[in-house]
Amino acid sequence: MLNIENIGKNFGGVKAVDDLTFRVDKGEIVGLIGPNGSGKSTTINLICGVFPVDLGSISVDDRNISKLPTHERVASGISRTFQNIRLFKELSVWQNVWVALQKDSYQSLGWMQEWFGNSKIQKERIKEILVFSGLGDRFDDLAGNLSFGEQRRLELARAIASKPKLVLLDEPAAGMNSDEVADLRQRILDLRELGLTVLLVEHVMELVMNVVDRIVVLNFGKKIAEGNPQDIQKNIEVQKAYLGGA
Amino acid sequence: MSLYLVTILTNMTLISFIAISAYLILIVGEVSFGQQAFFGIGAYVTATSTALLGLDLVIALFFAFIVSASFALVLSFLTVRLSGLYFAVASLCFAELLRLSLYKVEYTVETNSGTIGPNGPEGFQNIRWIFENNISPENFLIIALSSLLALILFLIFMESSKLFKNARLVGKDQIVAQSIGIKPFVYRVSFITLAGGVAGFGGGLFALFNTYIEPSMFGIMLGVHGLAYSIIGGLGYPLGPLLGVFIDIGLLESVRFLSEYRMILFGGLVAAILIIFPEGIISPRLVSRIKRNLVKKTNA
Repeated sequence: MLNIENIGKNFGGVKAVDDLTFRVDKGEIVGLIGPNGSGKSTTINLICGVFPVDLGSISVDDRNISKLPTHERVASGISRTFQNIRLFKELSVWQNVWVALQKDSYQSLGWMQEWFGNSKIQKERIKEILVFSGLGDRFDDLAGNLSFGEQRRLELARAIASKPKLVLLDEPAAGMNSDEVADLRQRILDLRELGLTVLLVEHVMELVMNVVDRIVVLNFGKKIAEGNPQDIQKNIEVQKAYLGGA
Repeated sequence: MSLYLVTILTNMTLISFIAISAYLILIVGEVSFGQQAFFGIGAYVTATSTALLGLDLVIALFFAFIVSASFALVLSFLTVRLSGLYFAVASLCFAELLRLSLYKVEYTVETNSGTIGPNGPEGFQNIRWIFENNISPENFLIIALSSLLALILFLIFMESSKLFKNARLVGKDQIVAQSIGIKPFVYRVSFITLAGGVAGFGGGLFALFNTYIEPSMFGIMLGVHGLAYSIIGGLGYPLGPLLGVFIDIGLLESVRFLSEYRMILFGGLVAAILIIFPEGIISPRLVSRIKRNLVKKTNA
């Protein structure tokens, strides 16, 4: 599904990501963890094309996407959420999902409708996505008026609206209480039920350990461990990285 | 209507074109300090087409639109990788470059009514279209106002199109826009080009109305006023720039009795407006609230 080979990214003299290789298989939920500044968010940004990679290649379904601009990567089936919530706050909840239906494969409309109409079909599809994301009753509310947890859910709704194959979640549990984390965990599992593949960047171990199939651990931009949650918890290198040992 | 009022209204109409062109670029999230140059190019093209080539008004204004839009297209390609402050500076440089080149454009023809054609720093004199065609100031105001009205109606219609909606998303958050599959390049290029064309069209009308143009008329203050009008008026709806023009020029004229103190009052008032309405009067927030209320009412 997602195949990352020897990618590297320097910011000035700092190696933010250094010779990183891992893969995510179809239908998997993979966690990407590491201490602050270890290059997790940079990796997500490299996969999305916010920055170009300096070295190595990123491919989705055996198609090299490392040279493509962001919007074309979206078209090839990648979508994401953001670490700091980035919604269009003055638009309503349904409009925030609507914006992601740029190329909606569910409908074949004439160009007039495509360009001017919010057709019924589209609204039904949006409703469906919002109900799935637990926001069915907030359809017409302003995105800026949602609670923090709901805004996170709306970001997730927007991310799945473009019908991606792979969803990148950038610290979705940041700032959540344990009830909200439990809810988020269920939502991530629901994504897999939909047939999606998930790459989860996260600090909240309570979530990571309970939802992922496999974990990749970064430290100083390098991969220091990879394996299932139980093995990672026992891994000496990982413990050192997190506890600050030599 | 008194000639004074007609002239004021015509000036307001003409400056509205530059305000709208600034507005179009603000929508895609950039600030242009260069719209005055496209206004100037439109003015020169129209002057040349009517006075030198003897073309019709419609064709002359069409040329003004096309030529200034082409220059704007060049600007948009040159600034593909620039945004924010850097785009603003680049647009100003581009505008000054064009304006200063006009000082070197000399091509004059002697006629019965005097010298016509661009004549370097002395400008383009004797643009006699309104006299030749017996257009009264009132009629000219009607021509200008109806073109402006047509433009506004077009923009209001286009507000509900995907082109404009996506352009606003690009303006608000380019990274999110990209990550939901929007190609920002397309929207930037088309809006900068359209904005150039709109400014050029307004400049064309200005040349005909003023009967005389020179490069120094198209300096940065013209562009800054255009920007200020659209920022005061708000970016929520195409009527915003018009409201800005109305407040600004209307107010300036109505307090003429204060003579030299009126600019002080005016500056204070603009500051006050922006303190009370930080996003302009017709802000995107206000528009979205009104729309939502309308939808609720129709549903109820």
